[in-house]
Amino acid sequence: MSGLKPTCKEVHRLVSEGMDRQLSLVERTRMRLHLAVCEACTRFNGQMDLLRRAMRQGPPDDKAP
Amino acid sequence: MITDANSLHRQLEAMRPQLVRFAQLQLRNDALAEDAVQDALIAVLEKPERFAGQSSLRTYVTGILKFKIIDNLRVATRERQIDSAEDQSEDEAIDALFLADGHTVEQPRAWGNPDGTLEQKDFFRVLEVCLEKLPAQTARIFMMREWLELDTDEICKELAITSANAWVMLYRARIRLRECLDLNWFGAPAPRSMGTL
Repeated sequence: MSGLKPTCKEVHRLVSEGMDRQLSLVERTRMRLHLAVCEACTRFNGQMDLLRRAMRQGPPDDKAP
Repeated sequence: MITDANSLHRQLEAMRPQLVRFAQLQLRNDALAEDAVQDALIAVLEKPERFAGQSSLRTYVTGILKFKIIDNLRVATRERQIDSAEDQSEDEAIDALFLADGHTVEQPRAWGNPDGTLEQKDFFRVLEVCLEKLPAQTARIFMMREWLELDTDEICKELAITSANAWVMLYRARIRLRECLDLNWFGAPAPRSMGTL
């Protein structure tokens, strides 16, 4: 772990990795505490969320004519 | 609502091009991609009663296609090597997003209400073009993770890479897609055209 407080660079990476593996308790805590006070990373988290939802959900269905 | 076999056939045919494009992103082989889609469409047409009452034809067909693609992945990826030259420029692209002190160079854009975005078909068209712009290996692994929903272990086994490799490649894919969507959907001030792509 790089320092007392994680940087946005580290948290961006953790947000992404958290989508692919279980983060450790330490990683998860560091990330969450940082997200609570960081708008940039919070927005990134939301962007990643949308991206995943979009891929899993797919486009809205055609309305039947 | 499916009223007859002709209608079902027509609807499936209308989906074919997009399904082939998605298959190609993963199989990187036109013949395999077309075969996978053809198999999926035939599977639906042979047993139309299986579809009855399910949520959506697209969801149903896509589900079958995903299994076909998974079956074919082994064939498609055998000769593929991970291109490490691709890696270096990707790492630089990520580094460029951050200042020396670890803060982001730019504030990520606010993307607004996700539900509203996901209701728009045009958004998905833009997303698909963004997927097609990804480098080949990046596209493949991203699709395997986010569309086929394979887990890290399964992906690593298929592609013969380490978990660390996989996570980095997925991170790069997401960064690229984020930038593409930012530019071509969320950033555009006026009615969207595909001209900027």
